[in-house]
Amino acid sequence: MTDHASAPVTWQAWLTTTSPESRRQARLGQLYRQWLAFRKNPAAMVGLLIVLALLLLAAFAPLVAPHDPLAQALDQRLLAPSAKHLFGTDALGRDIFSRVVYGTRVTLVIVMLVVITVGPLGLLIGCAAGYFGGWVDTVLMRITDVFLAFPRLVLALAFVAALGPGLENAVIAIAFTAWPPYARVARAETMIIRNADYISAMRLQGASQMRIVLKHVVPMCVPSLIVRTTYDMAGVIIIAAGLGFLGLGAQPPIPEWGAMISTGREQIFDQWWVATFPGIAICVVALGFNLLGDGLRDVLDAR
Amino acid sequence: MSTQHAITAEKLNVSFGDSHVVKDLSFAVSPGESYGIVGESGSGKSTVLRVLAGLNRDWSGEVDILGKRQPKIRDKAFYRAVQMVFQDPYGSLHPKKTVDDTLAEPLAIHGIRDAEAKITRAMADVGLPSSFRFRFPHQLSGGQRQRVAIARALVLEPTILLLDEPTSALDVSIQAEVLNLLQALRQERKLTYILVSHDLAVVGHMCERLLVMQFGRGVEEMSAETLAARTPQTDYARQLLIASEGFRRAG
Amino acid sequence: MTATSDAPLLTLDELRVDFHTPTGIVNAVRGLSFTLGRERLGIVGESGSGKSMTGRAILDLIPHPGVVTAKRMEFRGKDLAAMDKGSRRKLRGRHISMVMQDPKFSLNPVQTVGDQIAEAYRVHHKASARQAKERSLAMLEAVQIREPQRVYDLYPHEVSGGMGQRVMIAMMLIAEPEILIADEPTSALDVTVQLQILKILDDLVTSRGMGLIFISHDLHLVKSFCDRVIVMYGGKAMETLPAQELDRAQHPYTRGLLGCLPDLDHPREKLATLTRDPAWLA
Repeated sequence: MTDHASAPVTWQAWLTTTSPESRRQARLGQLYRQWLAFRKNPAAMVGLLIVLALLLLAAFAPLVAPHDPLAQALDQRLLAPSAKHLFGTDALGRDIFSRVVYGTRVTLVIVMLVVITVGPLGLLIGCAAGYFGGWVDTVLMRITDVFLAFPRLVLALAFVAALGPGLENAVIAIAFTAWPPYARVARAETMIIRNADYISAMRLQGASQMRIVLKHVVPMCVPSLIVRTTYDMAGVIIIAAGLGFLGLGAQPPIPEWGAMISTGREQIFDQWWVATFPGIAICVVALGFNLLGDGLRDVLDAR
Repeated sequence: MSTQHAITAEKLNVSFGDSHVVKDLSFAVSPGESYGIVGESGSGKSTVLRVLAGLNRDWSGEVDILGKRQPKIRDKAFYRAVQMVFQDPYGSLHPKKTVDDTLAEPLAIHGIRDAEAKITRAMADVGLPSSFRFRFPHQLSGGQRQRVAIARALVLEPTILLLDEPTSALDVSIQAEVLNLLQALRQERKLTYILVSHDLAVVGHMCERLLVMQFGRGVEEMSAETLAARTPQTDYARQLLIASEGFRRAG
Repeated sequence: MTATSDAPLLTLDELRVDFHTPTGIVNAVRGLSFTLGRERLGIVGESGSGKSMTGRAILDLIPHPGVVTAKRMEFRGKDLAAMDKGSRRKLRGRHISMVMQDPKFSLNPVQTVGDQIAEAYRVHHKASARQAKERSLAMLEAVQIREPQRVYDLYPHEVSGGMGQRVMIAMMLIAEPEILIADEPTSALDVTVQLQILKILDDLVTSRGMGLIFISHDLHLVKSFCDRVIVMYGGKAMETLPAQELDRAQHPYTRGLLGCLPDLDHPREKLATLTRDPAWLA
């Protein structure tokens, strides 16, 4: 900011000017206005804080966690929450607080992997189907329907059964089952967009089909997909936890929240804390993503 | 024959499924001429324009543009010669692209260098201040948007401009500015115009000749003088003229 | 009846409509005064002139952040500002009605047009279903729909733009209001249809002795259709004059608006453009 000090404008004025001087300034200004709108929504801000806290916890897990999440201490099995073990210990004497903290990393890995595979895949399939129509649309949408016809968890189970249990395979299975709704959303949007005059204008300039879809249709679909993704995050986390719970996701001793609930199942009536704290963690993170999605929808879908 | 005309259409027919929206339409436009097409909604006037522009492929008949018989799918060179301005300035600009993006895109598609100078010039030509260059459409008024749309059409330096009700979504004072701009550009660049409109006064002001359409057919072709003298031959054209004069209380 | 017919139906004094937005107060209407008798009063202006907001303010239909204030706002001597929401709502439709630009957005898509007209009647009058239907059919005939029986059972998407607007007019006039506000009622229609609709509107208004506020951007149309015209700009009345004298308007804004219209009788190389004077809004 110091190099801007010589200029007589503050950075807010630079961002909110109606006459930006460069592409970058225009883009940043647009983002800043969206941020100002987002900031007004307290629920969305709570969601954002939860997601930020998740990121920070994952990044600084070794500093936050008082114990090694994998270190067993059989003499300290199933201790109730105390100052030493904030969330108590599990059946192998591992510190549950430390495991929940490290679990954020596992959750984030799942979320990230699913986002980078599902978003683009659904977007491309949906936009292509919607823009080209005809047999391209028919083929792509029937494939989508096949995937949509199964309950998600059941389909994910089938994939994991075929691929073998494990975190990576769980992610692949979730991604495979998660893309169809995205393709549907993108297709519906594209069918409206493709008849817009600004797309006709692009065709009139001799733009190739590929260029129109990638540069002009896709950017219009992205906001609703981002919103859909953040909503879906909660679902992804819960399915990952479900697979973990069934022993098909992350394998022990990885501190995955779903698997932790699963192992705590046996003690649920006597040692409630073993299953409860990972459960609360799932709830809070799922809620955070949902609130964030709500706020993003208001900001991105406006206009 | 066809070399004398900028645009000719012979026995043009357009159907969408069961509805036959343009029927046996023929007309010819000379280079540098401004030709109007007038009609009410459903007359097929906008469809004709979309066929000429290559946006509609469900047609039959013959279309010659700049001495070349046009296939259904046009080549890239075609679009450097023929451009179009749409009716609704709120729908014809991509909402997520700045003025700069919008004007740079055609240049990038055709691999034209010196984009910087061309964009600056295109904006100056349509009377947009350079401070608008990085604005998004939602930061522009209707008239300013239509100027951007005209600049986008002109940046490839076409010789034919197809105008689909370019001012019907604008206030009258803004309409006057845009019509003046279109007139000035035509004189400066020797452009050929086809202007589609429902407004006889606008067509009378902008065009040398015009075609009145009804239910997909060309009803009457006349000169602007005939229009101004209110001496068309057909009943329908006369009816349209009378209706455009405003309300008349009987008795 | 004769005693009251000279008294104005509507009196507005210093009407203001302000929108309190996060970025400041937007004044949509700033101090508009007029009276309406049993006449056709035109309000013309460009977009943003406040002409539509004026119509909505009279009906108490200004959306949320908007606030309506006026020194005086009376309907046949009754103070509108002093009425509660419920009384204003009862007034709406029964005594003051509105026809909007596009019938597609004003009609309920899942109900036949006939039922909608009948319902509009029964909201304000005690009537059996059969009586209401009879009245509705008569009303459809009054707006010159040739086969009222058939049209009665059509859904809004099955009628053309011109027919839809007739249905809207039938619906708005069936309660026999004293004032009709028509906000660009024919702008979405073709010229020939436009004139038919205006003729119907004109006949009904004249025969029933209603007051009509005709809001439009079309100077020619207002000139030929109305008795009196208010020219609005930036939320203020620039001038009020008899429609016949619009061509001889004094105010530079009105003259500017007329000047920038292309005219078949006076072809010009270049159209005049309007220079807006900030003093007009002072």
